[in-house]
Amino acid sequence: MKNERNYLLTLMTFLVYFFLLGPLLIIIVVSFGPDRYLAFPPNGFSLKWYSNIFEVSMFMTTFKISITIALLGNFIALLLGLPAAYALSRYNFRFKNTLNAIFISPILIPGIVLGFTLLKFLIISYNIPMFTGLLIGHIILMIPYIVRVISSSLANLDFSIEEAAMSLGANRFKTFFIIVLPNIHSGIIAGVLLSFLESFNTVDVSLFLSGPGISTLPIQMLNYVEYNFDPTIAAMSVLLMVFTVIFMFVIERTLGLTFFTKSR
Amino acid sequence: MNKKYFYLLLLPCFLFLLIFMVIPILVTTLSSFYLDGRITLEGYRSFLTDHYFLNILFRTLRISLLTTTICIILGFPVAYYVSKLNVKLKFIFIAAAVFPLLISPVVRSFSWMAILGREGIFNTLLKKIGIINEPIQFLYTELAIVIGLVHLFLPLMIIALIGVMENIDYDLVKAAQSLGASRFTSFIKIVFPLSVPGLVVGSVLVFVGSLTAYTTPQLLGGSRRVMSTLLYQQSLTLNNWYTASIIATIMIVATFIIIGIMNKIAQKLNPKG
Amino acid sequence: MSLISLEDVTVAYDNKINILEKFNLNVEKGKLISLLGPSGCGKTTTLRLIAGFLEAKAGKFTFKDKNYTNIPVYRRNFGFVFQNYALFPHLNVFENVAFGLKQRKVPKSEIRKRVPEMLELVDLNGFEDRFVTELSGGQRQRVAIARALVINPDLLLFDEPLSNLDANLRIAMRVEIRRIQQELGITSIYVSHDQEECFSISDEVAIMNKGVIEQLDSPSVIYKYPKTEFVARFIGFTNFIDFEVESSENGKLLLNSNHSKFRALKTNDVKVNKSYKGVIRPESIKMKSYIENEKQSENSIKGSIKISTFLGGLHQYVVNTELGEITVNSDREPPYDAGENVILSLPEDKLVLVEKG
Repeated sequence: MKNERNYLLTLMTFLVYFFLLGPLLIIIVVSFGPDRYLAFPPNGFSLKWYSNIFEVSMFMTTFKISITIALLGNFIALLLGLPAAYALSRYNFRFKNTLNAIFISPILIPGIVLGFTLLKFLIISYNIPMFTGLLIGHIILMIPYIVRVISSSLANLDFSIEEAAMSLGANRFKTFFIIVLPNIHSGIIAGVLLSFLESFNTVDVSLFLSGPGISTLPIQMLNYVEYNFDPTIAAMSVLLMVFTVIFMFVIERTLGLTFFTKSR
Repeated sequence: MNKKYFYLLLLPCFLFLLIFMVIPILVTTLSSFYLDGRITLEGYRSFLTDHYFLNILFRTLRISLLTTTICIILGFPVAYYVSKLNVKLKFIFIAAAVFPLLISPVVRSFSWMAILGREGIFNTLLKKIGIINEPIQFLYTELAIVIGLVHLFLPLMIIALIGVMENIDYDLVKAAQSLGASRFTSFIKIVFPLSVPGLVVGSVLVFVGSLTAYTTPQLLGGSRRVMSTLLYQQSLTLNNWYTASIIATIMIVATFIIIGIMNKIAQKLNPKG
Repeated sequence: MSLISLEDVTVAYDNKINILEKFNLNVEKGKLISLLGPSGCGKTTTLRLIAGFLEAKAGKFTFKDKNYTNIPVYRRNFGFVFQNYALFPHLNVFENVAFGLKQRKVPKSEIRKRVPEMLELVDLNGFEDRFVTELSGGQRQRVAIARALVINPDLLLFDEPLSNLDANLRIAMRVEIRRIQQELGITSIYVSHDQEECFSISDEVAIMNKGVIEQLDSPSVIYKYPKTEFVARFIGFTNFIDFEVESSENGKLLLNSNHSKFRALKTNDVKVNKSYKGVIRPESIKMKSYIENEKQSENSIKGSIKISTFLGGLHQYVVNTELGEITVNSDREPPYDAGENVILSLPEDKLVLVEKG
């Protein structure tokens, strides 16, 4: 009885993981196929779809925009989120839970609605340039990741080391930079990487905030898939997966992947 | 120490979200109650009596509910299995669940297009085995959307559940079994109630995510629109901004209602009260 | 003139409940003074106020005749030793100790000289390159002490520095702290809830209760002559008997309790015809078997053994008397039996009158 049940549970777990990872494996395999359509198994081996990525100029343009938005947005989100995470972890005050909920809420606010309202409010009503609107949307998206990851890093920090530093002659500002920051740098790195991925991958927020000349890579890929069904996108996906694996490796080293199961 | 200063640390982030998130959403929401210079529910009346719109609303809810249910059914045993593994294996399984989460939804939906399409892997396979002669229409159906969304959100459910199940004291289960409870009974009476917080978090994420996802229904649903694709169509394709505001408001309100209901359920079911 | 003086200081958390209200404290130069009391008595608050981690709502803090009330913590030059050590986890032992010197822009060559000297003082030479995580609790606290001392602080503040160490190490470390403090002659304030710890290392002990100093005296005076009922209870007096003072002459008191007359020495400021608690330690009471018709000596009372407990080496008895239950220690062998009649005598120099609490 006992063995049978465990056997079923094991089988089910492996089937579910096959369901999760199988499609990604298939993408990897078909990306190396020579045909103009997605053949599985492929009828040969070719790298031409990888070189094709670089021939579609929109991919390169939007890639640059995506990277710019992710990096610039990350920087601003960090400037906004780091002090907020610090204040939330360090002090007790009346509206702490409310503020925390507001900072985390962009995770639950539908991205598509956020994009829609930003388009209406910023671009149509106030004539703000599309790029700025896109940047703002992505910063909003990144703030909860920055605040949450850095807060969890700060939660492990013993704030008496701040008092120790101040009693030894460092003022509050200096203490933050030479005592607090070095002890939460792994949380900052992980938060930056996670929010970078979130920004780089998102479609929903960017959808309404792209126009002529301004678009992100995922939006471009989405448009491409709707009209062309060749393995270029598969090749692109493989490249993105490689980057993701590298990012995951760094996140594991800095934050630990168990963060994902523990943070809630 | 200096209580006045730390509000300054919170202010920039708060103001940013207030100006660029809270206010735009509030303005959009309020504008949906305002037509021809007066406050009215007329927009909602006509939306909710239109068969086309109602169809889409119910399809969206149906898909979200189905996706959440499947994620619970698949996620629960898997999370239970993973949470009881040793540290090393558990890490591998958690990493394997986190990995797809960090992959763009475009890539993940695209993979299902390759599998479910008319000339896709699934149809080719079925033809080879000889079960069918003509390809079956999998892609551009509600089923395809549900499969895509389950694939998208199941890792969230698994991870949320592992988080709570890891902390369950399995001596309780052993104690229950020593008192004569069967494995199944002890699972239902002990593991399940203690997992409720994770189940609620996971369900909120999956349900709200499914309710508002754009990429997956767009790529896998074809002409079968859901609320998010309808929002896009009404605003950017048809320039019907008033209806679009109503759709956006319904999505926001639905999101908050779901979060509220789930919080209530969590409070009721949580054994710690 | 004292080195430290707190005048009418009021401290409140969240501007609501006052932890300290119109609090006063004076400390002389070179002394080690302890603040001792139960948790919530305000001892740590007092220490953190002196350190500058807390701000007073009202009152004045003077140090070396200078008003320190509004001087920020990083300009005070006080060394602080934390309960949890509060070492910087990202720095090694050398860098931890050197931290305060670097903030003071001390030249590198001097830092390289002074840090090893300080590590030598706390018996940690050769540990410069170790990281904090590689050290034991006792070693960490030594680093913390060296880090606080290297800046030549004007004042050294200890916040329960030994409470995270095990019992043997605690005793060794408190000897060490006292040695270093006397070697350097540095004025120190030491907070603890451990009576033995405070008494063993301090020049003076302030016993605190509910934000007020109940008594500030040398350890031996407090041990023998508590001033208030709270202090007496806190430092181990178990017998509290109601007395009325009938007369006071030449430093001797005549007391009345339940129509029995007792004598006691006048140690505290007491008034005639007022009632007080007479306190006495169980080991100070002499007990012998009751013998019929024997003439009772002064300051003694008849009683019968109610409960007897074995404390190892001696027995503790609860004795029923006309004055109520009195706890007595005795090492007589064989021990007294329950119900046995005894005579207790309370030596007049051990019976102390305190204000009722």
